[in-house]
Amino acid sequence: MLEISNLKKVYGNKTVVNIEELQINAGETIGLVGNNGAGKTTLFRMLLDLIRPNTGQILSKGENVAKHDKWKDYTASYLDEGFLIDYLTAEEYFTFIGGLHNFSPAHVMDYLTQYTEFFNDEILSKGKYIRDFSKGNQNKIGIAAALMQNPELLILDEPFANLDPTTQIRLKALIKNLKQEHKMTTLISSHDLNHVTDVCDRIVLLEKGLVIKDFLTDENTLKELEEYFSE
Amino acid sequence: MLITFLNHQWKAFWRSKNKGGSIAAQIFIGLILLYLLAVAVLVGLSLEILIEKSFPGKDVLVVFNGFILYYFAVEMIMRLQLQDLPTLSIIPYLHLKIPKQTIVNFLNVRALFSAFNILPLFIFIPFCVTAIADIYGSFTAIMYIVAIISLAIFNNYTALYVKRLSISNLKVVPIMLALIFTLGLLEYFKVFSIAAISNSVFSIISTHPLAALGFSLFALIMFLVNSKYLRMNLYTEELSRNDEKKTSTDYPILGRFGEIGNLAALELKLILRHKRTRSSIIMCVIFVFYGFLFYKKDFLKNDNFAAVLFAAVFMTGSLISIYGQFMFGWQAAHFDGLLVNKIDFRKFIKAKFLLFTIMSTFTTLIISLYGFISWKILAVQFAAYLYNIGIGTIIVLYFATRNYRAIDLTKAAAFNFQGVGASQWVLGLPYFLLPYVIFMPFYFAGLPYWGLIALGVLGAAALLTREFWVTFLLNQFNKRKYNIAEGFRE
Repeated sequence: MLEISNLKKVYGNKTVVNIEELQINAGETIGLVGNNGAGKTTLFRMLLDLIRPNTGQILSKGENVAKHDKWKDYTASYLDEGFLIDYLTAEEYFTFIGGLHNFSPAHVMDYLTQYTEFFNDEILSKGKYIRDFSKGNQNKIGIAAALMQNPELLILDEPFANLDPTTQIRLKALIKNLKQEHKMTTLISSHDLNHVTDVCDRIVLLEKGLVIKDFLTDENTLKELEEYFSE
Repeated sequence: MLITFLNHQWKAFWRSKNKGGSIAAQIFIGLILLYLLAVAVLVGLSLEILIEKSFPGKDVLVVFNGFILYYFAVEMIMRLQLQDLPTLSIIPYLHLKIPKQTIVNFLNVRALFSAFNILPLFIFIPFCVTAIADIYGSFTAIMYIVAIISLAIFNNYTALYVKRLSISNLKVVPIMLALIFTLGLLEYFKVFSIAAISNSVFSIISTHPLAALGFSLFALIMFLVNSKYLRMNLYTEELSRNDEKKTSTDYPILGRFGEIGNLAALELKLILRHKRTRSSIIMCVIFVFYGFLFYKKDFLKNDNFAAVLFAAVFMTGSLISIYGQFMFGWQAAHFDGLLVNKIDFRKFIKAKFLLFTIMSTFTTLIISLYGFISWKILAVQFAAYLYNIGIGTIIVLYFATRNYRAIDLTKAAAFNFQGVGASQWVLGLPYFLLPYVIFMPFYFAGLPYWGLIALGVLGAAALLTREFWVTFLLNQFNKRKYNIAEGFRE
């Protein structure tokens, strides 16, 4: 699905991301972990062609993301509030995003009914602009808008942050579900080791831009990670 | 404590993120402020001569006395529109061990730091010190100054009070404005005269100087009313926003343009749902009156369109140039979202063209009313309209691809230089010079009408070759999109 080679991003004299080779296969759920400054968000931004790498390239389905736009057809993402159009109501935002994929407004609203539980009655028909929602609810809107696009590749940056426990559990169930039903490939970064090991089948550990560990999850993964981070 | 608060405010002002920006912009702002102050002082010092010149044969004192309340009535309207509520700055202090009264005092003192409170001092005090002191003696002059300061303070707190009330009740400001405009109209139709009232009030002060303390009493009452209100309502959500129910809207007409229409609708909502964009648009509406300054009878009679052309280009294109100069900075907050979503940027650029065309058509239709003065104006404006939607839009969008500055939409527009960078200063030159480059050769050859035709034809030509220009702009955009996105993220 994704092939990263010789990827390097340098700010000033600090190398933020330096990945020689990383392959991500279709249908994998990958957890990206690492302390602040490890380069998780920068990597995501390069995956989404928001930042130009200094060297190297990222191929999505064999096409360089910086040269082609085709990846946008099957990639959905939510990194931060910068992805939301905050002066729209939640409904307007969903309709707009849906419209980009040629969903009719009725289709979008119909589709959203399956998220009733996830939204917990706090998102739809609230008569508020997105900017007036709490951070956790903004997160929900962004994640739901990404899921709605029915992507083959989903990229979420710290999706569990700011969410209440109930929603965290529901989100995990949603991701696991989509993986089974649509063979969706997912990239998640998180500081919450419990959630990551629970939902992901492969963990990539970044430190100062380098891939330190890359392994499949088993029952010892959580312990291993906790040991690494407590050093 | 008050000093600490003010010190924090001072730091907040100088350390604000966008402060570091372009030095050129700051020097420019500094010069404008100096200029305004100098003008105020100069007006103050030469008020006597000015009055004698503009109202020959009238007693200078009568005119001056009549002018004072007039000034403060107009100032009130301005304050209601422009003065900011110093509310948000108190949030970090509310939960600390600081008495509410101290915070209220801080808000009240903070409100005094406004240009509106300084300007009248510069305008009126020089006259009081010179002319009034000469005629009535220094005690009367001092009481005049007391009266003027009191009026400024009265206005200050009344405006803030009305604005604060208007947060819980939206109708207050329109009612207040309507009231003042009615007074203005009554004055205009000579039902009664503010000038006469002002004159009689201040002639009382000139004979019984202590009467000036009456104004101080009003100011004090207003100050107390305001303090009491703040003390009772010191909750930021009540002071800074209203919980009006927001509704989803769509524009079926724009929907007909498909994805381009959706993108244009998105931007239209951006304009209508933010204070800063709304006030920019209102500013443009005010520029519609520019014509009265420039469309002089003898210019038109002699086909001297050189002077008329500027006003025509400016008015038909005011929305394009004033709103467009900050593009795409308006969308900075969600620019990443636009980039990663399945948006065809060819359509994104076409949506801008669509929006500009709608805006320009709208203003052009309004100012067609100038056609009642002369049909020639319609000809000039039509040529200017074609230039604006054909060529002007391309210029604006070309500069937009070189603008890396985000706009903070939450701040008000007037006197807001946040997000102003080099590209805004440079943009104006080609935009307003190009029509002259096209028009003047014909004009000097004695063929002003041919000049208008040339301008219109070139504009139409650019309009017909739009696909080419869209590709050109798209290439420019793609070259720099990483820089734009990075600039917006800061």
